[in-house]
Amino acid sequence: MNIAVCVKQVPDTETKVRIGEDRRSVEERDINFILNPYDEFAVEEAIKTKEANGGEVTIIALGPDRVTSTIRNALAMGGDKAIHIKTDQIPIDPLVVAGALAQILRAGNYDIIFLGKQAIDDDNAQMALLLSELMEIPAISVVTELTINNRQVVAHRQIEGGFEKVETGMPVIISTQRGLNKPRFASLKGIMAAKKITIEERSVSLTENRIEMLELNYPPQKPPGKIVGEGPEAVPELVRLLREEAKVIS
Amino acid sequence: MAEKKTLPSFSKSLFSGFIYDDQIFPFPCQKPDENENLEMILDTLNKFMDRYVDSSQFDRDERMPGDVINGWKELGFFGLVIPEKYGGYGLSNTSYVRILEEVGAVDGSTALLLGAHQSIGLKGLLMFGTEEQKQKYLPRLATGELIAAYCLTEPGAGSDAGGIKTRAIWDEKKKVYILNGSKMWITNGGLADFFTVFAREEIKMENGRTEDKITAFLVTRDMGVKSGNEEKKLGIRSSSTTALFFENVEVPFENVLGERGKGFKIAMEILNSGRVGLAGGCVGGSKRALRQILAFVKEREQFGKPLNNFELIKEKLAQIAMNIFVAESMIYLTTGMIDQGDVDFSLESAMCKVKATDNLWDDVNECLQMAGGIGFSQEYPYEQNLRDARINIIFEGTNEILRIFVALAGMQERGEYLKKMGKALKDPIKGFGLITDYAMHYMKDRLTTDRLPDVDSELVGSKYEFERWAKNLHITAERVLIKYGKQIIDKEIIQKRLADAVIDLFGMISCISRVDTNIKKFGHSECRHEILMCKTFCELAWRRIRRNILMIDKNEDEAILAIADYIISEEKYNYHSVLR
Repeated sequence: MNIAVCVKQVPDTETKVRIGEDRRSVEERDINFILNPYDEFAVEEAIKTKEANGGEVTIIALGPDRVTSTIRNALAMGGDKAIHIKTDQIPIDPLVVAGALAQILRAGNYDIIFLGKQAIDDDNAQMALLLSELMEIPAISVVTELTINNRQVVAHRQIEGGFEKVETGMPVIISTQRGLNKPRFASLKGIMAAKKITIEERSVSLTENRIEMLELNYPPQKPPGKIVGEGPEAVPELVRLLREEAKVIS
Repeated sequence: MAEKKTLPSFSKSLFSGFIYDDQIFPFPCQKPDENENLEMILDTLNKFMDRYVDSSQFDRDERMPGDVINGWKELGFFGLVIPEKYGGYGLSNTSYVRILEEVGAVDGSTALLLGAHQSIGLKGLLMFGTEEQKQKYLPRLATGELIAAYCLTEPGAGSDAGGIKTRAIWDEKKKVYILNGSKMWITNGGLADFFTVFAREEIKMENGRTEDKITAFLVTRDMGVKSGNEEKKLGIRSSSTTALFFENVEVPFENVLGERGKGFKIAMEILNSGRVGLAGGCVGGSKRALRQILAFVKEREQFGKPLNNFELIKEKLAQIAMNIFVAESMIYLTTGMIDQGDVDFSLESAMCKVKATDNLWDDVNECLQMAGGIGFSQEYPYEQNLRDARINIIFEGTNEILRIFVALAGMQERGEYLKKMGKALKDPIKGFGLITDYAMHYMKDRLTTDRLPDVDSELVGSKYEFERWAKNLHITAERVLIKYGKQIIDKEIIQKRLADAVIDLFGMISCISRVDTNIKKFGHSECRHEILMCKTFCELAWRRIRRNILMIDKNEDEAILAIADYIISEEKYNYHSVLR
């Protein structure tokens, strides 16, 4: 089975994000970059699919030079090949990224393409569906359970208050949600093996961004907590505030 | 046998008045791809520890869950230093120690599990094993199928390791060694299946006489090794520590490690190479303690302001940071030397161990103090940190023994030289070359001051103090040797002072090299905090060195020893009551 995983490099969740002087970009200097956590589910599922059905897993990522460390991380989990689509930066318009990925994915003739349901930095959550449209193949998003049988794919999709069970054939795009699997840790064996894999570099022509970043701002400071009073006599006031001000009870 | 050490030891040379700066400058750094590997390994390591390593739970349970140990095995953390051709990952010493540091920053017991296996348990096989022995055992050690333990200490032989009594007798009929005896305080004793064991045997020497010598053996559990119960310990309680019993354990001849009768040397060389890993784990522990206490002193308020506003708290915080900085510099300078190969690093690794373990103890103690009553409670991590830190001052050579080792091994070369000189002076014609050589050296010593390469202008003062006190150390060591001759061996307090002086000197040069190298890479303004750290440490260090050197001649040693002798002879505190 010919399997692809699209991964994105994102700032570590523990990073203290600092907005750059231009107010439109983030200071990259002290950022520790990691593999997007939702993409870890995608890599894990791709490797499991390979282990069950045979075949190869190709890791694909787009971005500047620094992205190679993330590709290596994904390879170390058990990928076989890698393609680095080199760009100066990661475009902010998801459609531009999707266009670039689609070019590479089409050429690869993959049976199944995995990617995380969203990246934790810009939270656009559009990639699976944009790729589906551009490549004209089905996409199943927010998948929490997946079975593959004779090239037939049955997936559970998480929806509000329950799940949908859907079925389709290959090729297919699967976007992965927490709960689908437990991503493995890269073992030393995997890390050493990953070092020996040559990352294939590709350049593609990017379309114009149709979204422009105007301004970045920090979230508003959390207001400090309020002590209403002490003992049982404070309870009515607390209930009133929870109902009328915080509006968390009715 | 291990490859011959060709380069002179930096620190031993200091005693003789030489500074071999090419081992020191620039501060060693790994190749980019080695660092990339390391980053990925640390990433896996931290994710794994985040999910599975709960130090305080392990401590309460006094055991590590089996599936966590299996997790370490599956990820490959038992094969870090084993070459790839034997199924390991062939990491550099630097990477290995950095990994132990990271583990030590989460759980001391776990650092010990991995460290005892790789730093000492299987190190003898790596250093002295035959190809057949390596092929037989290393692949299974690399996967953790076999966990290794180093077995030297016995009930009657701790610091005096030469006094072991476990005996190996060759059974001519069965063609095996029969081992009998017992070992104490064996780390991984309850988990291990592979033991590097030291035992005495009678060896016929070339001159026909029989001598009682120590030989090293590779022993596996299936040969009949029995473990005692898990020790109840003050700290590192989830690590395995047991006695081991050898009752007619049959060991085939091909399991002799290295040369027969060279076991003591092998034992020492393993420890020399293993100590720096322990030091790395301790620096990790100090970093964790600092991280925890920084969060605490920021939140905790007294007299209407957070604790981190008070001078006496700040002083402690700064001292901890400086302790970490110095130990870290010494350790990674030493691992760099080791990775470069062909160098005698026995003194450096001992100094790293002494410094990092003393520091860790001071650091966790001060952190507990800053936390006040909270520090004393089992609800918080401070007391466990303190308990876990304590063993490090004791094992792998007590810090007392290691100070003695540093001083005596440091002076040995010079002592032998002086002995020869003594003979040369009695026979001036035969010894003429030696004397002129000595005179030249003596002159050079006293005329040259500028013996380190140029360092950044910010560090010139620190460099000057290093050179000044390095020379002073050399002159003092020589004076001490001439004054005491062979008796120096019993002058332990003087040895301690010399050792502390040379540890401070090694700390100074490690910091100078590190910061100088970083300034060249990143520029002054990026390094201003490191410059401050280096200069401050060097100032404090040379004052300590001066005091130590002055006290070699002017001290109260005799009086102190007399006080001790009195209470020892009285066997109690026997002074007139203050109330009468």
